[in-house]
Amino acid sequence: MEGQVILAVGREFGSGGHEAAEILAKKYGILFLDHALLKNISNEKKIALELLEKFDEKPKNRFLSRTVAGHSSSPEVNVAKIQFDYLKKLADEGTSFVVVGRCAEYVLRENPAMISVFVLGDKETKCARIQEKYNLSEEEAYRTMKRRDSSRKTYHNSHCDGKWGDSRNYDLCINSSKIGVDGVVELIDDLIRQRTGAGCKKAD
Amino acid sequence: MLEQVIAISIFIIMFALIVSERIERQWASMGCAVLMLLIVFGGCMHSGKAIWDTINLKELATTGFWYAKGAAESASTGVNWATILFIAGMMVMVEGMGRAGFFRWLCLLIAKAVRYRAVPILITFMLMSFVLSMFIDSITVILFLAAVTVELGGLLHFSPVPVILAEVFCANLGGSATMCGDPPNIIIGTALGYTFGDFTKNTGAMALSSLIVVIPYFYLCFRKMLKNGSENVDKTAYPQPSSAIRNKKDFSISCVIFAFAVILLVTHSMTGLTVATIGCSVAIITLLSVGREAGKLLKKVDYKTLLFFIGLFVVVGGLEQTGVLERIAGLIEVISGGNVYVCIAIILWISAVASAFVDNIPFAATMIPVIKSLAETTGLDLSVLAWTLAMGTDVGGSATPIGASANVVGVSIASQNGHVIGWGKYCKYLAPATILVMLISMAGIFLRYL
Repeated sequence: MEGQVILAVGREFGSGGHEAAEILAKKYGILFLDHALLKNISNEKKIALELLEKFDEKPKNRFLSRTVAGHSSSPEVNVAKIQFDYLKKLADEGTSFVVVGRCAEYVLRENPAMISVFVLGDKETKCARIQEKYNLSEEEAYRTMKRRDSSRKTYHNSHCDGKWGDSRNYDLCINSSKIGVDGVVELIDDLIRQRTGAGCKKAD
Repeated sequence: MLEQVIAISIFIIMFALIVSERIERQWASMGCAVLMLLIVFGGCMHSGKAIWDTINLKELATTGFWYAKGAAESASTGVNWATILFIAGMMVMVEGMGRAGFFRWLCLLIAKAVRYRAVPILITFMLMSFVLSMFIDSITVILFLAAVTVELGGLLHFSPVPVILAEVFCANLGGSATMCGDPPNIIIGTALGYTFGDFTKNTGAMALSSLIVVIPYFYLCFRKMLKNGSENVDKTAYPQPSSAIRNKKDFSISCVIFAFAVILLVTHSMTGLTVATIGCSVAIITLLSVGREAGKLLKKVDYKTLLFFIGLFVVVGGLEQTGVLERIAGLIEVISGGNVYVCIAIILWISAVASAFVDNIPFAATMIPVIKSLAETTGLDLSVLAWTLAMGTDVGGSATPIGASANVVGVSIASQNGHVIGWGKYCKYLAPATILVMLISMAGIFLRYL
């Protein structure tokens, strides 16, 4: 693939968005960043991985933190900022990558190479996927889904101006329950081709 | 009674908005200031005079605002324009100094002088933080010191966390030593008519006494963590102080302006120049010295903080005009039972505890009319209450990561460079140090003044 491509994938828990993102990264032979991002940062900046993981994707405690002149005392905010700065550095260097979550669609919004996608799904399909993947009962899967989505939403909305999952903040929103993970991959692939000018898909 | 309830409600709303950070603090304070003017002064008290007195613009037209031999008694009601102009002026000066590379140069000069050894860096940077914070706002001091400390830590293989924690504490302590070091002191000094010399002789003495104890304390806490730093390091990688100077002419001029500002401050009770005049003078000289860059420099002034102060003074003015603060003073008098030692202890420790969790500037501004009232009713010397309030609000904030602006900046810079500092790590070393300094201050006040 010619030219830089940055794919930022936001997703609901159990929607298969992570799986689709990983498939696309392999297909294009580019870097894939999910929680492995923390390992990269840990190696590069010589920061203890456990410390980064402890505060990763957690919203700040409003009562135990303060912001002064753009600086925050919250470890959660600072760990988030370390990740955001790392993503911006990679993007500025011209590296192509796929990143899952990490408020990437907001952090990299100024970069013209960035393509943002949000993958959602119907409750039943997501629950079924979670049950199978994590070996949970239906009730446990549903509770886990609610908890994880709530946590992602809080984290995202505390760092970004736009709301998590709001279609106005993404180039494309896809319901994976209608077309499956393969369909999601195909749609995103098509979008990338059109954005990078690799040629239009022939009409049927 | 109604106006008191509304005034208190507006004040609580302002504090809640500031703490929640849902909107920027200057809009919280300005919004609440407008509410105070319209609802309390206009609606409840029907007093246009109260509005005018609170906005206090007439103060700018008085000679005493710009020149006063001895101490200038400024009104504690309403907007303290002397504080606003002084802080604005110092912001301009500091922006010029930072631009010229002064702070980074000073840090590297000292690091070089101690031969880039970790423990001497700890001690000298603590001293530098203390001294610089006596004249310059602690946010700027820590912004530069922490950044250089992280850089040196990376080069010399020592953890910058202990050094940054010690610098933060000493910045707050140094700020308590003079009238211009910390915003609460500027507000107290201008509102109650104390000079630079008054602060230096009183809070300065307490701060210096505390520093003598604090340096060994931090040395004992951190010496093992820094012990293995600076060994087996490539000396050619050491940054040279001269590399920090971006432009020699700008650097020289900024040094001269800084020295000039210090001289003006130290001698202001003799010259009669008020802090408002000093602030404006220093700002004008700095802007003239940078020529065409003046516009850029002015854009970097933190107007948000200045707006925050204006709104805050109006809100506190509302509490004062409605008699709320007099009631609080009465409550303190009742609780202390007329015992001056208890009264002082209450003010010191409540100021310290409050400052550890909330912004000390609104707290100090609110307490000034309270201590004035207390001085009148108890017969206690106002100056003693002023020094007590100053030490409590300035140093109390060191106890927690959110207690003072310098703490937040230091923790943030360390964290963003991979050295995450949570509450546990921070409070383990700095809370005991804070308590130590409060005890030294209390003993000092009891022995010297009572």
